[in-house]
Amino acid sequence: MDAVTAAPSKISLRGVTHSYTLRRPHEGKHTFQALGGVDLDVKPGEFLAVVGPSGCGKSTLLDILAGLSIPTSGEVLIDGKKVTGPALDRGIVLQGYALFPWRTTRENIEFGLEVKHVPKHLRREISDRFIRMVGLEGFEKRLPHELSGGMKQRVALARALAFDPEILLMDEPFAAVDAQTRETLQDELLRIWEETRKTVIFVTHSIEEAVFLADRVAILAANPGRVREVVDIDLKRPRDAAHLRTSEAFAALRHRVWTSLQQGNRPE
Amino acid sequence: MSRAPSLEAPAQRATTAPRLRAAALRCSGILGFAVLWELASRLRWIDPTFAPALSTVVVTIGRLIASGALLTHICISAGRALAGLALGLLIAVPAGLVLARWTPRARLVLDPFLRVLSQVNPFSLMPVFLLFFGSGELVKITTVGWVAIWPILFYTLTAITTVDPILLKTGRSMALSERELVLRVILPASVPTLFVGLRIAAGLVFFMLIAAEMLGTNGGLGWLVHNSAMNYQIPGIYAGSLLVTLLGFGLHRGLIALERHLSPRAGAALPTVPGARRPAAVAGPAPRPSASAVPTPSRWSAVAEQEST
Amino acid sequence: MTRREILRAQLLLAGAVLALWELLPRIGWIDPVFVPPPSRVLEALVHLWGLGLLGEHTRLSLGRALGGFGVAVVIGPLLGLALGGWFPRLRQALEPLMEFFSQANPVVLFHVVLLFFGIGESAKVFLIAWLCIWPIAFAAIAGVANVDPELLRAARAFRLSRPALFVRVVVPAALPSIFTALRLAAGQSFIMLIAAEMMGASSGLGWLVVQSQESYHAPRIFAAAGLISGLALVTDRILLVLEARLIRWRPPLDEGRVLLAGGAER
Repeated sequence: MDAVTAAPSKISLRGVTHSYTLRRPHEGKHTFQALGGVDLDVKPGEFLAVVGPSGCGKSTLLDILAGLSIPTSGEVLIDGKKVTGPALDRGIVLQGYALFPWRTTRENIEFGLEVKHVPKHLRREISDRFIRMVGLEGFEKRLPHELSGGMKQRVALARALAFDPEILLMDEPFAAVDAQTRETLQDELLRIWEETRKTVIFVTHSIEEAVFLADRVAILAANPGRVREVVDIDLKRPRDAAHLRTSEAFAALRHRVWTSLQQGNRPE
Repeated sequence: MSRAPSLEAPAQRATTAPRLRAAALRCSGILGFAVLWELASRLRWIDPTFAPALSTVVVTIGRLIASGALLTHICISAGRALAGLALGLLIAVPAGLVLARWTPRARLVLDPFLRVLSQVNPFSLMPVFLLFFGSGELVKITTVGWVAIWPILFYTLTAITTVDPILLKTGRSMALSERELVLRVILPASVPTLFVGLRIAAGLVFFMLIAAEMLGTNGGLGWLVHNSAMNYQIPGIYAGSLLVTLLGFGLHRGLIALERHLSPRAGAALPTVPGARRPAAVAGPAPRPSASAVPTPSRWSAVAEQEST
Repeated sequence: MTRREILRAQLLLAGAVLALWELLPRIGWIDPVFVPPPSRVLEALVHLWGLGLLGEHTRLSLGRALGGFGVAVVIGPLLGLALGGWFPRLRQALEPLMEFFSQANPVVLFHVVLLFFGIGESAKVFLIAWLCIWPIAFAAIAGVANVDPELLRAARAFRLSRPALFVRVVVPAALPSIFTALRLAAGQSFIMLIAAEMMGASSGLGWLVVQSQESYHAPRIFAAAGLISGLALVTDRILLVLEARLIRWRPPLDEGRVLLAGGAER
């Protein structure tokens, strides 16, 4: 913990555990611990990536941060206040886009605003802004089934941003698109983040993606899920994809993360 | 289709000709039947007193339209049908919502009871309702209402329990209250599947209503047929039957078209066995609806055609 | 909730309903003229049996229903398989006509049919067959159309002739679809049976129901109606067993569960 940068944490996880019981028909009750004691601090405006093997509880962690799941023990603090449930100070972007199929692009984006009871003309202005921000002008009236994967993800992003949450939680959002679209979306995300400076927690399987996007990368180990290490990514911003991905510094950091992951996976 | 030559003429002609042919083919069955009917009666292959020619029947229908009687009867029948459907919706949708969403355990317990109830023969219920309500509007409306409830209920249950979980997750992450979640996410997502239930209910209601009108009294399309029969007005019987069939056909096609229109708005709705009256709770493996505008070769027939070359 | 808990709750519920049904009419909270207690219904049933009428009417009704259903079971699949598998152009021509026919309400057609067949057994059997045949034929057509192309591809590698391919691959693949429609049609045949007997018969369980209603004999209405439902249920079960035997490869379709288009069961 850095005493110099005295900025208080935006998000604090203290000893967060999550376990649930499964009842198998012939095996009786069985407690499974998804998370075992997670401690993490995230600074305001920070971009934190979370990587880890399957089953390490990444998605559970995100659910807990979103307030959709309650930790079995430990606590989650946002701005010093305990999280007790979901709220509009956090926006979530999921892997499957989760766009409401009966709503157009604009209507999807305005969803959170409707929930906040923002008046109609204001909604229009705001959704216009975000449609422009994610580069979807001309597609306002399209329904989700008429959009490509990349476009859908942009709508999902715009929807999460539109109601101005301070924190953005992203659960492998680019996993379902092809590699090229993925890189484009990564660039876009960084651009938007620089513009809006939200606190972002970005869960991903891809080490490359994590190192490219984040300020820090939290590496999780499984069984039970816990933070093994947090690596500082001290690459300069703005991050230019063309040069960065082939630079030595990038490769070194990537290797560092990878090694840590591998070690975390070795049976203890 | 314009026959005038244009810059795009060759490409157009290439696609319109087969489509015209396909459309003609699809009409040929019904046309053939119509022609056969006309001839069979006129040429006395069948005794024309028992089977008046199609043209005679059409004339009878024309008279009914002209006298305004048809419109009256259609309105009477339609009114009852809509009332029955409304009754079904009002009871089944909220019940489905409650069972699926708020008391899922009650639903598990009630499931077999509901299925048994849904399979009670509506014709055997009619006398029971007749005892309760005497003969009148209420009997018909409750009978068709009863018939409408079951498909709507079962499809509502399915619709609500199969809302995409990530949609629910997204809604919950925005701290939506239960009420908002239901109104803004669950119900809109349920509409297409619900509509399938509604469509099936509409078919059943139509079927049951006409039957009830034939067995009962005072007005309506079914009564029209029954009345003609009682007065030995044979063309009237055919006229009524033809009208009911045409209306049913139109209703069926119209609802399917509407369903297709709603479908992209939330993903595939459940298909049903076409032409069936009571798919209700058991729907088979997905058969394609038989009504298709341009016939697509079945995969088997594609194989078959290949083999023969 | 565990299965045992559910079962217990169901038994309790059934017991409670039966108890209330028995009690309330007896103490007059429900008018027993309209809703007789189950004991009276059973009495009526036994009474009918004693008179020998029950067997008579049941036999007649079953004969009609199964007769009509039987006709549909034979003609329907043949029609559907032939049209779907062998005569695609004929199928395109006839499908709209068949759809048209399937909308022809047999109850409405009753009077037309009467003109040709007169009031007799054949009229009723015809109407029941008419109602059942269309969904079965359509299901057969759809079953053929939806045969997994991968199956066909694999089978063709065995260099089967077209007829052999059809019989050995397409027909079995279409069977589940056909069977589902059969079960549906069986249920519908009973519904139509009652309607037909109510309108133009002087025997049979449907006639009994109407008769009892006209003489305000509620227990008999319930007895006859209950018996009809029972028969329909038994027929359905028999078909389920048959289906399980003949189509061993299909995972048992849990009654009342709706299959999603993707095949996921809920």
